[in-house]
Amino acid sequence: MRDKILFSLAAIAAVILTWNIHTIFAAVPDELNQGPIFRIIYFHVPSNILALSGFGIGMMCSIVYLFTKNLKYDAIAEGVTEVSLVFATIGLITGSIWGRIIWGVWWAWDVRLTSFLVCWLIFAGYLMLRRAIEEPIQRARLSAVVSVFGTVDAYIVWKSIEWYRNQHPGPVLSIRNGGGMAPGMEAPLYWNLLALFCLSIILVMVRMRQESFAREIDSLRREAHSF
Amino acid sequence: MGFFHHVWTIAHKDLRSELRTKEALNASLAFSMVILVLFSFAFDPSAEQIKEFSGGLLWMVYSFAGALALNRSFAREVHNDCLDALIAAPIPPAALFLGKMFANFALLFAVELVSLPVFGLFYGVHWTDQIAWLLLVLFLGTWALSVIGTMFSALTINLRLRELMLPTLVYPMMIPALMACMTLTSDLLQGMPVTGENYTWIRLLVIFDVIFTALSIVFVDTVLVG
Amino acid sequence: MENRNVTFMIYGLVAAWLIVLGYVVLLALRERKLRKELDRVRHMVEGGKQS
Repeated sequence: MRDKILFSLAAIAAVILTWNIHTIFAAVPDELNQGPIFRIIYFHVPSNILALSGFGIGMMCSIVYLFTKNLKYDAIAEGVTEVSLVFATIGLITGSIWGRIIWGVWWAWDVRLTSFLVCWLIFAGYLMLRRAIEEPIQRARLSAVVSVFGTVDAYIVWKSIEWYRNQHPGPVLSIRNGGGMAPGMEAPLYWNLLALFCLSIILVMVRMRQESFAREIDSLRREAHSF
Repeated sequence: MGFFHHVWTIAHKDLRSELRTKEALNASLAFSMVILVLFSFAFDPSAEQIKEFSGGLLWMVYSFAGALALNRSFAREVHNDCLDALIAAPIPPAALFLGKMFANFALLFAVELVSLPVFGLFYGVHWTDQIAWLLLVLFLGTWALSVIGTMFSALTINLRLRELMLPTLVYPMMIPALMACMTLTSDLLQGMPVTGENYTWIRLLVIFDVIFTALSIVFVDTVLVG
Repeated sequence: MENRNVTFMIYGLVAAWLIVLGYVVLLALRERKLRKELDRVRHMVEGGKQS
């Protein structure tokens, strides 16, 4: 059953992505001011959306763990945060490459980029913390607290952006009242988002199974040592 | 009033034990002086350049020196099972946290007040122009540093790599507050009062302090006990 | 200029997919290590039970 889910998600993602490749490269025209480089947005923006929502989901799972003490939620939180960190890395690198062409620099201390880097640092710290703690329950407890602090902090950083001038393009998606993209050009972005979402679910599920292996190993080791 | 009595007892205990040895205080002060000197070699700034990054430099000095003091906050209780005694004591964990936080705040604020004139001396900066606003920014920033630092000190006490994990976790969390403090301090050290856009930074600092103090009080029990 | 633009776009897309691929490889390696460890510990426990 589980494998069936994994394969069907993979199939959906593959189909959407392949279709999108055609749309992005053939059907969508070059953007007026930016030229071909703007097509990066079709991976840059969905990655960032997934990364941020992933961190939020990780925080919610952490809170649920703290209430229920069920290690399954800790496993979900860990998997989701790790996959979100991967997508945040993609967002940062694609953003940097895009910036090289548009702004002429590999990196600018624009507040949105900076806040993304901060999020990355916070959750990389979360993963480092998890590696540093051996005992599973202590690890789950402490990393849950760090996840909550980190996500709240990430939100504060995000908000502080909106109070400050920035050079990053403002919202262009129509859902955020940007209205900066022609409708035909916006659709592939949402399809890509769906495809990457399927991909992220696959990755999280694989990661969670690894976590259950690790827990089984841990409990078997204790059983072995008790002989 | 029992709660604040507990907070005062813990804070008083920490401050008294620190003032007897003055280990963290001396280390932080010495470290801040060293950084100030090192930066002057690293950058050799002109008067104009100093105006731009004075706030940033000052808060970097404060955060690095502060990390030294914050690390010891809960770490000093590990010996002789003092931490277990504190947790088992009939005081609310929130009182334990706040007591330690206030003690750290006092230490850090003292270090900052001493470093500020030295900074002014080394870099030729007039820091007395907007002294009231400057003290407010120092207060809010140090509160943020104390809250986050004390909380993560509690979190990392039992870890092998405690000294490594504390800065790794604290500095990214502090970035919004540090951003605000640095911007505000740069402007204040140039003699500009807090106006317009800078009010949002003050607001950010206050919100940051309130939110993280509340979160810490809620979660300190989970972190210390489980 | 146009060429550079296209080149960088390709860099960007390639980078994104390389990162995903890299993570998948990392997951696969971790899975293999975990399975090996799991089998080893299972044998250890069974050996202990028999003796």
